[in-house]
Amino acid sequence: MNEVMFSSWGGTIVDNRSGRSTPATEIKVPSAVAGKDVAAFISWDGLVISDNNVDVVALANAYMAEAAHLACGECSMGYKGTHVISEILTRITNGQGKPEDIDFLVELSDSIQKNVKCDFCANTVIPLRDALKNFRTAFDTAAASKEAALKLDYIKKVTAPCQEACPIHQDIPGYLELIRNRRNTEALEVIRRTNCLPRVTGRTCVAFCEKNCVRKDIDTPLSIRALKRVPADLGIIKPLNSDKISKKDKVAIIGAGPAGLSAAQYLSIKGYQVYLFDEQETAGGMTFSGIPAYRLPRNVLSGEVDVIASQGTQVRLNTRIRHVEELRGKYKAVLVASGAHQSRDNGIDNWNKDYDGLMEGVEFLHAVSSGKPVAPKQKILVVGGGNTAIDCARTALRIGCKEVTVVYRRSRHEMPARDEEVKAAVEEGVKFLFLAVPVKIQSQNGKVVGAECIRMELGEQDASGRRKPVPVKGSEFVFAADMVLPAIGETPDLTFLPQGKQAKVEVTSWNSIKADENGITNIPWLFAAGDCASGPATVVEAMASGHKAAESMDLYLNKNKIARPESEAVDSAFHDVGLSRSRRGPKPAVEARAYPHEMNAEDRVKNFEEVEECFNVQVASREADRCLRCYRVMLILTRQG
Amino acid sequence: MVKLTVDNKPVEIEEGATILAAAAKAGVTIPTLCYNEELSPAGACRVCVVEIACTPKSITVTSCNYPVAEGMVVSTQSENAIKARKLAVEMLMAQHPHSDKIAKLAQTLSMGEPRFSVNSEECILCRLCVRTCQEVVGAGAITFVAQGLERENREAAVVWNLDKCIACGSCAYICPTQAVTLNDNQGMRTICTPSTKMEFKLKACTKCGNHYAPEKQLEYMARTSHLPIEKFDLCPDCRD
Repeated sequence: MNEVMFSSWGGTIVDNRSGRSTPATEIKVPSAVAGKDVAAFISWDGLVISDNNVDVVALANAYMAEAAHLACGECSMGYKGTHVISEILTRITNGQGKPEDIDFLVELSDSIQKNVKCDFCANTVIPLRDALKNFRTAFDTAAASKEAALKLDYIKKVTAPCQEACPIHQDIPGYLELIRNRRNTEALEVIRRTNCLPRVTGRTCVAFCEKNCVRKDIDTPLSIRALKRVPADLGIIKPLNSDKISKKDKVAIIGAGPAGLSAAQYLSIKGYQVYLFDEQETAGGMTFSGIPAYRLPRNVLSGEVDVIASQGTQVRLNTRIRHVEELRGKYKAVLVASGAHQSRDNGIDNWNKDYDGLMEGVEFLHAVSSGKPVAPKQKILVVGGGNTAIDCARTALRIGCKEVTVVYRRSRHEMPARDEEVKAAVEEGVKFLFLAVPVKIQSQNGKVVGAECIRMELGEQDASGRRKPVPVKGSEFVFAADMVLPAIGETPDLTFLPQGKQAKVEVTSWNSIKADENGITNIPWLFAAGDCASGPATVVEAMASGHKAAESMDLYLNKNKIARPESEAVDSAFHDVGLSRSRRGPKPAVEARAYPHEMNAEDRVKNFEEVEECFNVQVASREADRCLRCYRVMLILTRQG
Repeated sequence: MVKLTVDNKPVEIEEGATILAAAAKAGVTIPTLCYNEELSPAGACRVCVVEIACTPKSITVTSCNYPVAEGMVVSTQSENAIKARKLAVEMLMAQHPHSDKIAKLAQTLSMGEPRFSVNSEECILCRLCVRTCQEVVGAGAITFVAQGLERENREAAVVWNLDKCIACGSCAYICPTQAVTLNDNQGMRTICTPSTKMEFKLKACTKCGNHYAPEKQLEYMARTSHLPIEKFDLCPDCRD
């Protein structure tokens, strides 16, 4: 789309029909899809035309037909209104228009924009109104014409701001609507299409969706994560549609964490014989060893693994793969999803693992999760500002430690841990020491007695966009502690990967496997997903990575192709649109957000029982009713010939 | 308390109240269709639309579910409100040309025939039945299925769950368009909905023999009141 002929994108009219030319770079819509130039683009924020031959009426008709399919039916103006518009436009493009049609379309689209229940229909008619206003002659001519318009193929995508922000692109408006209508079993079906761990994510997901919820600009985002838990816990699990004819190819997956489980689920649906190996005695990877039971009860996690296993995946626990090459003869493709479990060098002087009271944070969590005895201490110092640090602190209290302090080198504002986790930790009595970092362990007779710390101050912004902490000279002080738990990050263990001259897997400078976002490595039969490729990330990102790798493995096994799936080329073109939270419908009334009940802090620190309760069906229905249903339909017409 | 004006009449009402309630208090009648004061509002029919003054420009909202705010200026008869209301009613008329209730609404707004036609359907998706069954009866046998992304080939509909239905007939009673009907005949109750026809046995009084209530409803009453089912053997006329 080099020469824009007309654009109403974002409410700004660019009209070059009489000659002037505005470059397309200023308009944030795709210029090409899968190698073809875009001739027209229509979506919630306007329409962009770059070819004189585009039939705007036919474009509007195709767009409104999709929109009418998506109108939910909650209000008659939106539901019937979009259908009436679609029928009239279809009639016109079939050569059966009436002169009065166009004025009526203007009136109806105007009313829909102002008088519908949610955001979908209100925003959906915006490009139609732009087209009617700026291409009136074309509409009048089409309404008078007795000839049918040419049928063209359009590239279509439907998404929503929350859905785009979600790494596994859950159909969030779709399942929220089912929760609102108390159809939790169907909601669970929608969730499970792209999510193999609904109960885990319903409890622990960092919820990128909530950060991109349109309600954020009106009142408060919806409790999407907590709402997901309702169908996950209460819905009835139905088998996913699977390929009945089993393929003869066997595939191996190393690591039964979220990335491995996700790949296993989607490969077994496709009919492959999937073998999932894990060196631990329990499946779940970091969701087992890294997320404490008070956030994710053990039976919930094992239940999820059982569901995946029941769909055909062979789970082999207590099995450490020493060299990946061992698997090659038996398995056509191997996915490495072994996570990142090794603690990063903590850089603290006098760090000696044999001292009583020194342990890496992830080791500590793993020990407690696996039921190994960990003796409670009096004064604990947890180092770090991420979710692992908070998990360590809250776990320490639960095993009977008296005083727990989290020391973080930046301030509260820069902490990467989830706000609700930090809040819960504060309620439970966890103390925080900001802008300080331990530099040396102090010990006596093989026991930790404290940590020498230094104060920090925030300097210039670093690559992550956060201000870099700088030590303050001469500000050293001693923090008395009988246990120090650093939780400052993990790196993968890659010693089992091919190291030979012929087949050496490429790694990054971060000691993770070099793989693209589809899990493709430099070795054709070897794929990688999750933390071992990305470095430590979230459960949902690992699941997304596992799912994408499964698609790449399918392409490799089925078509002997190493490539990204075609659908992704289309998706990424639409991604450039920058699906923001922008909206132009009338402002809805402010409604308070519902939060799930939590066990009170005094009781919950005494044990590992689940802290958060599930919403009941009624409360969930009311909270889901706040959803503005911000689906966005996007249609592209590529240049013909 | 919140102070506002409805059609220039000042009114004071508690925070959280709807515009519709404030209008009633001010003595202003706003036409409604899917609203019932016993039920949570749905905002489905858009008939109760009013205009409220806002910066930078006024907006139209449904009065049944929009909360009042301090200093709000509500107009029920403005040009925009009337226009939106008429179009909402026109939409309903086109959908269900034979409904008395809708015809009456159109009459009060002095409207003519609709300018367009759509597939005529008796159910206008107002969900009065859904809300009655969930919120008043408590059976939760009726749910709304929306049209949407993952259900592209399905139209929006109201559906009945036969296992949960207690045959009380409240849905037929509340339906404004007779899309749900009820008929008792020879010991059987037939409920016809837009998608299904359901038949239920009626209980005969052990004394007079008259069929007086659906068996499923009596079982439901026994269950929720923790009374033995025998307590419901007699019809109200034969009870002491």
